[in-house]
Amino acid sequence: MRYGGDNRGRLLLIVLIVTSLFLITLDLRGVQVIDGVRTGTQTALTPVQRAGSWVVSPFRNFLSDVTHLGRTRNQIEKLKADNDALRLALLNRKVADAELKQLKNVLDLAGNGGFKVVGAKVISQGASTSFTQTLTIDAGSKSGIYTNMTVISGFGLVGVVKIAYANSAVVQLASDPAFRVGARIAGTQQIGILSGQGTRKGVLQLLDNTTEVKVGDAILARGSNNGRPFVPGVPIGEVTAVDNSAGAVTQTADVKFYTNFSTLGVVAVVVSAPSADPRDALVPAKPRPTPIPTVTVTATPSASPSTKG
Amino acid sequence: MISRRFLFSFPIFLVVYLLQEGFVTQMRLPAGGFSLILIFTLAWASMSTPEIGALTGFGAGLLMDLSETSPGPLGHWTLVLILVSFVISFLSYGDDHVRANPLNIVFLVVAGVVGAQLAFALFGLLLGQQLGSITQVIFVCLGTAFWSAIVTPLLLPIISRLHALVFGTASRI
Repeated sequence: MRYGGDNRGRLLLIVLIVTSLFLITLDLRGVQVIDGVRTGTQTALTPVQRAGSWVVSPFRNFLSDVTHLGRTRNQIEKLKADNDALRLALLNRKVADAELKQLKNVLDLAGNGGFKVVGAKVISQGASTSFTQTLTIDAGSKSGIYTNMTVISGFGLVGVVKIAYANSAVVQLASDPAFRVGARIAGTQQIGILSGQGTRKGVLQLLDNTTEVKVGDAILARGSNNGRPFVPGVPIGEVTAVDNSAGAVTQTADVKFYTNFSTLGVVAVVVSAPSADPRDALVPAKPRPTPIPTVTVTATPSASPSTKG
Repeated sequence: MISRRFLFSFPIFLVVYLLQEGFVTQMRLPAGGFSLILIFTLAWASMSTPEIGALTGFGAGLLMDLSETSPGPLGHWTLVLILVSFVISFLSYGDDHVRANPLNIVFLVVAGVVGAQLAFALFGLLLGQQLGSITQVIFVCLGTAFWSAIVTPLLLPIISRLHALVFGTASRI
């Protein structure tokens, strides 16, 4: 028989719902205690996330190898263990090399733009069950990172620091649906607003309808006052499609972000804007097509036909 | 009795929360992955009375709201989980047809996860949250449902045993 409930149960449900609504109201009104609770929770969680990152990273890559453990014969076990250890070392080396490459790329970009940056490792990716796109980095206000600072990778814009804790910070990714950035087209310098769509594709809305935008155009950040939240000249992405619908008030274009947000391991937070706008200096070079050699063979007939004896 | 149950339940949910925040989010599973605490809460609620279900939703919702990546105000997930946990426990508790088959519990939990996400999105819209395109919302919901359908049967025996430990063996599946 199905449970019917009673007055006590209904009263409890109402009390709980009212409590949650009360909490929502308090938080929306900006009560300091609520912020303090969240900050405290994050401070307590940071070591757990660091540990989780350390534990999960090799485990993720070595899941298949772990299944081989527990064999009985000593010799095979020893060889397998040695093999696993070597492969682990090799993969760790590969991971380290990949992170080093990412760090080198991001430092190259920052150096070309004249940005002063603080490097940071990605320690957690926000749960997309809440329909947001965030990640957590292992550096915070103790490293000079504060809210509304630009975050870049070796390819370009990653996002902006949303919340800075003492030893970690939450970064809102450029792909987040709530993300907006003032952008300009490299070369023509036409301006618009680029918004995230929850995927690697963003939408650029141009402010001037007479602007001509083409597929392949590079999009850069326009920059904000004092370089916060956005420093100027950071590459964002490339136009992949243009919507030129007749009668549209504004022209829009699809933009593919240069940064692949799912593979980020190392990022940099721009803590100081450049003294001069780098303009289009950071636009990534177009890939040069590799020439394919062609060989033409021309058959020349001989003067007299050959005869077989 | 209630304080004893709370005393046992709280550390269990705290550990699940730490596992979710420290480890599950590191896995970067495709299509949105799954939420361990959401599955755990709804499965727990499905084995409890509606009052305990609502209380469980309240506690778990508060923990989810404290997550750094929770975009809404404190109380957003709390409100959603109170309602969804209450509904789940209301549908399952005392109905032997539902409780007799673990597949029914799995189905209820997966439907509850999707329902909680949709309710979260709906309340988020009312509170002015940006959610992206409908396609993206549907994609995330379907992805989470897929992962939840895989993970829930694996977790159900553990949740059932822990629930039996706290509330008595009668509720064990």
